[in-house]
Amino acid sequence: MKFVIGGAFQGKKSYACQIFQIEETAVTDGTVCDRDAIFQAEMLVHFQDYIRRFLGEEEFLMELPGELLRRNPEAVLVTNELGYGVVPIDAFDRKYREIHGRLCCALAKEAREVHRVICGIGTVIKDAAV
Amino acid sequence: MFILVTGGSGSGKSEYAENRAVELWGREGRLIYLATMYPFDQESHRRIARHRALREGKHFTTLEQYTGLKNISVPLGSTVLLECMSNLAANELYQPGGAGEEAAAEIRAGIQSLRGQCTHLVVVSNEIFSDGIPYDQETQRYQRVLGEINRYMAGEADQAVEVVYGIPLIYKGMENKGKP
Repeated sequence: MKFVIGGAFQGKKSYACQIFQIEETAVTDGTVCDRDAIFQAEMLVHFQDYIRRFLGEEEFLMELPGELLRRNPEAVLVTNELGYGVVPIDAFDRKYREIHGRLCCALAKEAREVHRVICGIGTVIKDAAV
Repeated sequence: MFILVTGGSGSGKSEYAENRAVELWGREGRLIYLATMYPFDQESHRRIARHRALREGKHFTTLEQYTGLKNISVPLGSTVLLECMSNLAANELYQPGGAGEEAAAEIRAGIQSLRGQCTHLVVVSNEIFSDGIPYDQETQRYQRVLGEINRYMAGEADQAVEVVYGIPLIYKGMENKGKP
């Protein structure tokens, strides 16, 4: 699995498409896709929205990192980095931020590569091959 | 050795900081967890419980200090893990008995006092500065205080690390790397 992270509007998708040679038209959008589409996707973007939509399905989410590795080990996952603000007042927002962070830690641990994108420029912050 | 570990919420910074503290400690002297989160509701009790579970079996002695860091004394030669500066700063600013306007100066004095006593100090802090939400003045004051303390600590630290989803990015003190 490859993991691409960064703030919103930083050019993460374009960067990932270029680096991993994937057509933008072939990208799965986590904002609207079916729940199980993540297991077939070559590349899934807006992973944070995907998490937000299925936040009520805690059991599914807890097993997601393991399932994803098992069923779609070559996937490229693109997500916004969250959690760089003051603790949200709304309980749902706090839970969303927390669960997204924990899942991203689990995914980054298993990922072969982690790229962090800022201003369209990617930095490889983990490369298991090195 | 003084290490600053910072990162966003849910970034894995606590687990990383614990591992670094245990590694520095090396069974020499006491290993102390200095908890600063005041348990004011159910959710904070749950967070504290999660952190306790993370620390279990790692030989930490827990001390609690919500304000007045400079009043705490630890045995000479200890390794201290302070978690989390974001809570301590909020406590100093808002709790009765906190330093209020003098929060940043109070905390700086506390850090100096601790460093004079322990051999190794690891402080966990928090990145709360870049979500683009326009906060009210009071919250901005809190951000300003924590920002000031973070810059002070990074200046003093032998190593400054940002943890990104469990991956340490070392901005200062590469030579003090520790185990991967």
